[in-house]
Amino acid sequence: MAGSGTEALGHGGANAAGHAEAEGASKRDFLKILTIASGAVAAGAIAWPFIDALNPTREAEATARPIINIGGIAENTAMRVEWLGQPIYIRKLTAKQIADNQFVVPASLPDPADFSDRVKPGYDSFVVVVGLNTGIACELEGNSPSDPRGPFDGWLCPCDGSVYDPLGRLRSGPAPKNLVIPRFTFLNDTQIQLG
Amino acid sequence: MRRTLLVTAALAVALLTHQARAEDTLNPPHWQSEGSFGSYDKAALQRGFLVYQTVCASCHAAGELHYRDLDALGFDTAQIAAIASNVKLPTGPATADDRFKNPYPDPAAAAALFGGAIPPDLSTIVSARPNGTRYVYDLLIGYAPAPGDVTLLPSHYYNTAYPGQQIAMPPPLKDNQVSYADGTAATAAQEASDVAAFLTWASDPNLDARKEIGLRATLFLIFLAILAIATKRKIWRESV
Amino acid sequence: MATPQAQTKPWLESRLPLGAAWRANVSHYQTARDQPYLATLPGLILGALIFLALSGAVLSLFYVAAEGSAFHSIQFIIRSVNFGWLVQSFHTTGTTMLFAAVYLLLFRAILGSSYKGQGDLVWFLELKLFIILLLTGWLGYVLADGATSYWSLHNAALAGARLGGFPGAIADWIFGGPAGPGTLARMAVFHVILALLLLAVIGAIIVAKRVVAPPVHRNPVAFHPYYTAQYFAAFVIFALIFAILVFFAPHLGENHLNLAAGNPLMVPALLTPPWYLLPIAAIGGVVPTTLGGVIAVIAGLAVLYALPWLDRSKPGASTGFLYKLLVFILALDVIALALAAAAPPSLVTAILIKLFIAWYFLHFLVLTPLTSATESK
Repeated sequence: MAGSGTEALGHGGANAAGHAEAEGASKRDFLKILTIASGAVAAGAIAWPFIDALNPTREAEATARPIINIGGIAENTAMRVEWLGQPIYIRKLTAKQIADNQFVVPASLPDPADFSDRVKPGYDSFVVVVGLNTGIACELEGNSPSDPRGPFDGWLCPCDGSVYDPLGRLRSGPAPKNLVIPRFTFLNDTQIQLG
Repeated sequence: MRRTLLVTAALAVALLTHQARAEDTLNPPHWQSEGSFGSYDKAALQRGFLVYQTVCASCHAAGELHYRDLDALGFDTAQIAAIASNVKLPTGPATADDRFKNPYPDPAAAAALFGGAIPPDLSTIVSARPNGTRYVYDLLIGYAPAPGDVTLLPSHYYNTAYPGQQIAMPPPLKDNQVSYADGTAATAAQEASDVAAFLTWASDPNLDARKEIGLRATLFLIFLAILAIATKRKIWRESV
Repeated sequence: MATPQAQTKPWLESRLPLGAAWRANVSHYQTARDQPYLATLPGLILGALIFLALSGAVLSLFYVAAEGSAFHSIQFIIRSVNFGWLVQSFHTTGTTMLFAAVYLLLFRAILGSSYKGQGDLVWFLELKLFIILLLTGWLGYVLADGATSYWSLHNAALAGARLGGFPGAIADWIFGGPAGPGTLARMAVFHVILALLLLAVIGAIIVAKRVVAPPVHRNPVAFHPYYTAQYFAAFVIFALIFAILVFFAPHLGENHLNLAAGNPLMVPALLTPPWYLLPIAAIGGVVPTTLGGVIAVIAGLAVLYALPWLDRSKPGASTGFLYKLLVFILALDVIALALAAAAPPSLVTAILIKLFIAWYFLHFLVLTPLTSATESK
């Protein structure tokens, strides 16, 4: 017969027993639920590459963690590199500087720190610090032997006169703390990776 | 319906437990990365990289690769740092974040050195040729004496695989030009096979991930297709 | 009795009746009962366009549209961006799937003579879709800045500039000059504009098709759940084919040479465009001059536009066996034309290309009117 729209919405065929219809209904529901759930899984799997593509690329991660060659640094000089906007000083200490500073009692310093806190094990002669005064923010002098270095042969702040030793520990001056040591690792004897 | 699911499940188990052939072979030349289920033979890639660094890198650039990408070959950070620091860039020793060294400061210098026949960048050479892996291998071992009816252009060599048969590159590979750490005999053919594998990786570093994800995605979609068609039929059977 | 409808409507529904619109136009829409799977093609095309738009958006975060840097930026995407290789492959393989669906849509329309009578607007819209898609596809191809892409753009800009007079001025307007820096950036913007236009056109096609849909007097069904289930199944099958191509044949239909960087100093041996541009490129290339090529392309598309008049069958009459056979032969002819155009040029392929193009025009200008007039009684 010519069905109207609502009649044609179809409530399952004119089947025999209600029992069979109920069983058919639950089978259909399981299938539908399984299909929709699998479809959702597929949609999520397809969406993931789009989302992950916006995460930092390998290039960005490399720029965030640069590798620096330190093999060419002469003794008693420091190399300056810029990292994330800040100057990083990498200094090679002389044997005399190590000897003078190795056994200073930490408690006698304005900001107590031991020699082993300032250098990495096995690499005694390298000091890596952020080259900014911890008091009035100002870039330090002392990377080259001809710079004014202050009485401890380390670094000197030209802005407020704070004095640091070759390990970057504060010795005197308005500044409150030792120079910040950034996160870094030694890849081998001639390369460090910041970050 | 149930039988279709069982067959699919059996097929899935068979495909998932399929073992790719264990390594690249020479006779006949076959690379583990070939085929729908292939993956890279990392040992061959490392050998190929050694050949590349020793022989090819002096004239060819591979500017899309960085030294840090070599971790995909199985090298660890220290080994990569060592490999990079052995490379002399104009600004000092290279680091892992540098691109592979370009032997020439600019294309004009390269053209001047080789009379216009600039050695191409090898980053995508395998993708850019049909059957690229086999092409590179055939080219490297395809040098032969020119037959009688062929007059060679000056500074050119006869090569059976190169289009036109006359190539400006002198035969680059000889037996035992490198010594492999894993003890494989470094015949010219072996070196050619390994460097072809390495250059295949250079062109397509994502091959392993692509085929692995592809297998899972295809099986899942076959499963989902069967479900979707079954659901559609079930729903339509409800209507008069 | 207080029924749910008597209470206040939900907040959004009372201000923007999306639910009512959804029910009227999608879920409760009365649809004829016997729609085949292939009727889902416009929906698949819409889905493919949206998918391409999303993957294109992600690619455009990293793509640099400048000569010399573009290829490099795509290598960056492939090697350095997380899953960049997959998103890039989505975009190129998605294009292949989209073109396959559109070619199939056109084939079905020609086979079933659905452009007769009221169906002519749908046909014109489908042709518009096809033409804009060809342009968008070509623009995407040149944006890849590979060896053949570079030369395709360079040759087009140069040929356009040499046209002289008004056509030359138009060409310079489009390309910004024959050798300009900045041409690639311009092509990128056009690519996006045309892609958005495609979304509008496919939307118009879907709406217009409803007007000419088969009459629903015989036991229609609601769209939901009957056709939502069918569309879902169609999408999954489409996705399955797509996945097989993305993961196991990512460069199908591409010219291998295009996977090397574009080089102004070196012309590749074989300047074949991607497979979907081959038929139109073959028709355009058969005449040696630029103006002749443009006229040939316009002629090839014009015969398609003229089909509602070339086909002399009566609206509503089903097509005869001979006509259907000829349409299948036409499809084979176009495929053969594409294959001949992709092969390395030789005397044989040159003759074959001319033959296949001649058959193409013969089919529309001679065979279609003849068979449709005689078979439709």
